[in-house]
Amino acid sequence: MSTHNSPANVDKLTGIHVEINDEMESVATQFNRSAVPDAWAESVRLVADKRDRAAFQVLYKHFSPLIRAFLLKSMGSGANRAEAEEITQEVLIKVWNKASTFNPAKASVNTWIFTIARNTRIDFIRRNDRNNREIDIEDIWHDAESPEPLVDMQQRRAEQVIKQAMATLPEEQVQVLYKAFMEGKSHNEVAEELSLPLGTVKSRIRLALSKMQILIDR
Amino acid sequence: MVSFHPDSKFLTDFAAGSLPLSEAVCVAAHLEFCGKCRAHVQQLSDLAAQMMVRLEPVVDDNDGFESLMQRIESSDAAPVVQPSSIAGKSAVSATGIPRVVEKLAGGSLQNLNWVKLGNSLRIAPVDIGCKSRQTAIYDIKAGRPMPEHEHRGEEITVLLKGSFSDAEGKYVKGDFVVRYAGERHQPTATLDTDCICLVSLEQPVKARSWWYRLMEPFVQYRLSGFSR
Repeated sequence: MSTHNSPANVDKLTGIHVEINDEMESVATQFNRSAVPDAWAESVRLVADKRDRAAFQVLYKHFSPLIRAFLLKSMGSGANRAEAEEITQEVLIKVWNKASTFNPAKASVNTWIFTIARNTRIDFIRRNDRNNREIDIEDIWHDAESPEPLVDMQQRRAEQVIKQAMATLPEEQVQVLYKAFMEGKSHNEVAEELSLPLGTVKSRIRLALSKMQILIDR
Repeated sequence: MVSFHPDSKFLTDFAAGSLPLSEAVCVAAHLEFCGKCRAHVQQLSDLAAQMMVRLEPVVDDNDGFESLMQRIESSDAAPVVQPSSIAGKSAVSATGIPRVVEKLAGGSLQNLNWVKLGNSLRIAPVDIGCKSRQTAIYDIKAGRPMPEHEHRGEEITVLLKGSFSDAEGKYVKGDFVVRYAGERHQPTATLDTDCICLVSLEQPVKARSWWYRLMEPFVQYRLSGFSR
């Protein structure tokens, strides 16, 4: 895996943070990385360690049509196909350059690539803004380590729950989630577009999230 | 112990990348103190990623892999990002101020242009090129109150250091506090230490006391026009 300094309470096998407490330990043992394999992690590792072109091509083949699809939806009506193409290339170059920062204990390759695409998109929108001041988007949407370890442990399982629950959502919840996450619209923008009160948008999203065990207090 | 968190709207818009920069900086600062909200943002990113991989793929007619590799190889002198640059580091720096805030302040809060307002308060605007909101760092002297004020727009306060209280309760380091238009309050820093906050204001705060009102045009001038 990676060479970064692991804190003492990281499980050697899984790389997952373990709280020193019986209940937590049992959850951590059930929750083994081999139980939820990430098909793409090995390719990313080969790109990181060996600068492996063939492995990168595998990632390219699978992800570039998806990144392109996401960017065409989320870059706004101002973006044309050529711009979406350019940003897609930028995302893939970052995948190549940042492969060694990928931490399989923390996120799946899907999520890692989504966050790169999201940040590159935010950057693109800012570049077109005349008020733009030189700000590195990665300083804000960064992924430095958390001082609180507990939460990382639940990640992979959460991803499984999300996958399963997504298929059961009613149309009106899918619609708001789609606008928020794939079209990159804020709650306010979604409310305006659908002529719904902000509170309705918020509660639809919260209902959907709670079905996926994403339980945010407010 | 952090007990005030951003709600699902802030976290969702942050994870989706649609939260305006001034608010995003506040959420990012809170995340550096709060493992729970970081987990939520991670879950929301997982959800977004699951949606992305279910999109109808848009295949480009000409396979651009070779030209992409040429681009990569021609710029291969460019530094490859090493994991050590981010992983393993704790988010909050040695000063206790979140990295995101120190970065925006150009390395240290001392580098900002502080404006003194009376004896108990100084304010430093942080220019992040966001039109709709003002972003600033407030430094309130230990035990001193801020002028009582009313909000014309939404105000987000993230406590970076020390603690303060108002009629609603006591707030400590890491807390993410939202006040809405029309709410009126008078925060007071607690006795033991100065209180440093990151503040994102939708519209200028309307101050009630005469001296603050007298100062207001000046403050607004400085807050909005300082760095240009």
